[in-house]
Amino acid sequence: MAQEAVISKFPNPFPRPKGYSGIWSWITTVDHKRIGTMYGMTAFMFFLVGGIEALIMRLQLARADNDLVSPEVFNQLFTMHGTTMIFLVVMPLSAAFFNWMIPLLIGARDVAFPRLNAFSYWTFLAGGLLMNLGFAFNSAPNAGWFGYANLTEGAYSLGNNTDFWVIGLQVLGIASLAAAFNFLVTIINMRAPGMSFMKMPVFVWMALIVQILLVLAFPVITVALIELQFDRLYLTNFFNPDAGGEPVYWQHMFWLFGHPEVYILILPAMGIVSEVLPVFSRKPLFGYPFVVFAGASIAFMGFFVWSHHMFTTGLGPAATSAFALSTMAIAVPTGIKIFNWIGTVWGGQVRLNSAMLFSLAFVALFIVGGLSGVTHASPPTDAQQQDTYYIVAHFHYVLFGGSLFGLFSGVYYWWPKITGKYLSEKLGKVHFWLMFIGMNLTFFPMHWLGLDGMPRRIFTYSADSGWERTNEWVTVGAFIIALSIVVFIVNFFKTSRSGEVAGADPWDARTLEWSIPSPVPVYNFVNIPQVETLDDWWAKKYPETVAHEESHDSDTEQVAPAGAEDLQPLVPKVSPEERLGEDHGIHLPDGSYYPLIAGFGLAFFGGSLMSAWWLTLIAGLVMFYGTLGWIFEPVNDPEDHH
Amino acid sequence: MNLFRSSLLRRRSVLLLAILTPALLSACILDSNQSPFKTAGPVAEDQKNIFIFIFVIAVVVFVIVEAALLYSILKFRQKGTAARPPNQVHGNTRLEIGWSLAPIVFLVAIAVPTLIMIIDQDRGPLDGRVPDNPLVINAVGHQWWFEFEYPGEDVITANELHIPVDRAVDVRLLSDDVIHSFWIPQIAGKVDMIPGQGNSMWIQASETGTFLGQCAEFCGEAHANMRFRVAAHTAEDYQAWLDGMRRAPVTPEPGSDAAAGQLVFAQNCSTCHTNNSYKPAVARAERDTQIARQNGFKADPENARIISAPNLTHLALRTHFAAGIEELNADTLKQWIIDPDDIKKGNRMSKQAAIYNVPGSELSTAEVDQLVAYLLSLTPAAADAVVEVEGPGSGSGEPSAANGETLFATVGCSGCHSTGTNTLVGPGFSGLSDRAGSTVEGQSAEEYVRESIMKPNAFIVGGGTVSAMPSTFGAQLEDGEVDDLVAYLLSIE
Repeated sequence: MAQEAVISKFPNPFPRPKGYSGIWSWITTVDHKRIGTMYGMTAFMFFLVGGIEALIMRLQLARADNDLVSPEVFNQLFTMHGTTMIFLVVMPLSAAFFNWMIPLLIGARDVAFPRLNAFSYWTFLAGGLLMNLGFAFNSAPNAGWFGYANLTEGAYSLGNNTDFWVIGLQVLGIASLAAAFNFLVTIINMRAPGMSFMKMPVFVWMALIVQILLVLAFPVITVALIELQFDRLYLTNFFNPDAGGEPVYWQHMFWLFGHPEVYILILPAMGIVSEVLPVFSRKPLFGYPFVVFAGASIAFMGFFVWSHHMFTTGLGPAATSAFALSTMAIAVPTGIKIFNWIGTVWGGQVRLNSAMLFSLAFVALFIVGGLSGVTHASPPTDAQQQDTYYIVAHFHYVLFGGSLFGLFSGVYYWWPKITGKYLSEKLGKVHFWLMFIGMNLTFFPMHWLGLDGMPRRIFTYSADSGWERTNEWVTVGAFIIALSIVVFIVNFFKTSRSGEVAGADPWDARTLEWSIPSPVPVYNFVNIPQVETLDDWWAKKYPETVAHEESHDSDTEQVAPAGAEDLQPLVPKVSPEERLGEDHGIHLPDGSYYPLIAGFGLAFFGGSLMSAWWLTLIAGLVMFYGTLGWIFEPVNDPEDHH
Repeated sequence: MNLFRSSLLRRRSVLLLAILTPALLSACILDSNQSPFKTAGPVAEDQKNIFIFIFVIAVVVFVIVEAALLYSILKFRQKGTAARPPNQVHGNTRLEIGWSLAPIVFLVAIAVPTLIMIIDQDRGPLDGRVPDNPLVINAVGHQWWFEFEYPGEDVITANELHIPVDRAVDVRLLSDDVIHSFWIPQIAGKVDMIPGQGNSMWIQASETGTFLGQCAEFCGEAHANMRFRVAAHTAEDYQAWLDGMRRAPVTPEPGSDAAAGQLVFAQNCSTCHTNNSYKPAVARAERDTQIARQNGFKADPENARIISAPNLTHLALRTHFAAGIEELNADTLKQWIIDPDDIKKGNRMSKQAAIYNVPGSELSTAEVDQLVAYLLSLTPAAADAVVEVEGPGSGSGEPSAANGETLFATVGCSGCHSTGTNTLVGPGFSGLSDRAGSTVEGQSAEEYVRESIMKPNAFIVGGGTVSAMPSTFGAQLEDGEVDDLVAYLLSIE
């Protein structure tokens, strides 16, 4: 009762909205689906920002000796392009799918900690805004997304540029860590009964692995950023060579985080592709345990390859050899994944719709990125390619051709589940082909620009270098990509007004989220499903195929399953007024303002370190208020209890 | 090159060729003026060969895997709806084992030559042999230019590295500020120049000529314009260059623009730019001088009127300036001096030098012309010409305040110190004799001024541990010259 007394005394000027519509219900939402939507929308906005930054850079580089932008502005652009695309686009887009799909795929009603989930989102948004706030003060981060010390400190980094970067990343790191713990607990504890780990959809497996990577990798960058900020603010000497500090120590810390980060960016897309390929081949994923184990191996080995980003730092032959070997070894599990994806398509009934095209392109382009990675895993050749456009080409094949194509595949695949409508297939295919052509035109020529000796991170090059013609084409390619994104936006607006209504299971899919209505009711599942097999929804629709699986060698047996339409009664029919779940006796947590206050308070506090002490004090109070309110606020208001 | 056009590629489907066309094209166009494929030395040659070896393997794997993907898409494409799902195959263990092992074969094929080459290239530039008589050169990265020192030869220069062909060069890589990376694509791949860490790399040129180099690690605002040139000479030409770098420059005609420019240089440029490292003592002291200049900058980056800067000794021997980005001639040099940002945005000179930042210190048009004339006159005098006697001081007899006054202008004192009361970089010297005797307990005025010239860090007015003043005048000046300078300084009213 003492707690109740405290609760009633804690000042709460904001009455919690009870409805499920209107702006305030979004701001206070703790529903994983709405948070997922907000992650997706916000990340897409940042995607446009990062894309515009790329286009300006491409305009600058289309001509030799061009002076469209100054070197200072160019340096800010490439720094923010990298930082934005990694931390504000690919990671939160993945988080959007984690939020939306993990509970649906494992048969849960929400994530484990709904308010922590909201806190993650608001902190991410605030951190992203803080990072970009530098532009307003003409001091956007300008030392690269890798922020190499000692360029980022002392006499070489005056102004607040790097402060925005350091503090912005710290805030974003807190958002990522909070989300990671949340999803870890969700996946481990909230799977539907019967769903053992090896019956979990591969997307959830990859999500689980990514959360483990986040939990292990982010503390490293957190420590490194604290040390860097201490060097900057309090004149410590972690990275200061004048006082015996080691600039290379920063690189070890950064890449010990940075290489797992690469897998944090690619594994979610691999998970999506591993869901999409089976559905549109109408076959289970080939070699499920191998794909899962390969994903885990990639993540594990990802912690032992960081120094391949540092082959030119003079590590000596022993360390260089060791990291070359570990880097080459990572090609083995990567290859296993690719072969299994091809094996999934093989013998299937392949439907080439937009979602499938993006997933197939993912595989095709990831092969290029993977192989170009092997070519510079060898340190002697990397000595020529390190810090050239060859590397830019390589990782854009992995992160654009890979991550983004995979994520767009997920958008087309799950759109009907999320909105209840299809995205236009016609526009989807235009989007796909423009993006595919533009992507290759942009990034393929970068391979030979790099081989031809063009360094990266240069704002200009001389006219007699011989690089100009190729750079023109690259710029054309970048604008074709931009056009493809415009087509996607048109598709978004057009179909949100007049899209074709999709049923609960429009793709004849395999996993649990397709067993519930589209769009998904707020409580997800009326009854938590009992899971019996991998691809449980498919097994319920086509039990004969599974029965045969268990008793016969599948290589030879043909199976005649029942038509999918027979199974429609499995999907519960839900009327709009039933959506809130009360009729089913399902209690969901009330919305809350405190995650927002705590999240923005945190970013405000971080940002205020660059300004006056009294602002820091106010920011600290805001953050403290948000946290305290959160602690004392009950999950549901007392009067709501039945 | 023929490997790029292997018959394997020609037999593939049209689509694959379409994807590969850029790769085929690339074989013909890897010919930029700094392409690692136009090799001019054994290190780059080995690096190119191992790349081509791995690349061919990668292309073979690429063709096989993409073909398998494309084939399975086209063969199993379904138009319309099929009532019956296909056979629900979950996997095949033998297949899994097979395609887990297959990549290992390729990777071993790549790993073995890789490891051999790592060891070989660590030993020496050619075939993994430890070279007998390598030339050692210190290469120092600065924001945003390169410094090259030839230890034992008493030669130091900037932005143009001269090496003899067919001789192993052990380049010791250093940095006085942030991390840079030393890269001569046609001769050798890059190795980073890291402050506080001594890296080194082997280079060797197999043909004479000029090769472009560039900083490959992002190092701040003007990173893109941090380039250099490598001139590979025959052994005789290399020796001739070294000898020239140790001879005094042509003496400007009295009364000429160049002669006037010499004074402009001493008063406005010599704080940061050394132009007399043809003297062995100056060459030996130059690295310390540069570090002292850099310390002066680091002490107060926003306002320092001093920073390490390219050595300009025998500047006119160079073909380019501003870290290899601009051809050296009277027009470009004039443009550079008038507005450095016009040629190289972000350069330190326009931010630190007094002539761009201290009102009243600007150079007149005439002074700019004189300076250009002087700088372009900086070439070694003929080998048989009488070597200039250093400075007017004789070094014997009574100290001469008159000689000291000349030294004050030509050695570089006047770049930072006025003879009035105003502070340029260092304090003005008006009335120095009145206060010098009482500044440090137990030192006479003469002793104090002498120590301040010879050891600037011994006592710093206002505290601190590192003086912005270069600590190298002790090496530059002869004893008699110091006497003359002290006499002059104490005579200033």
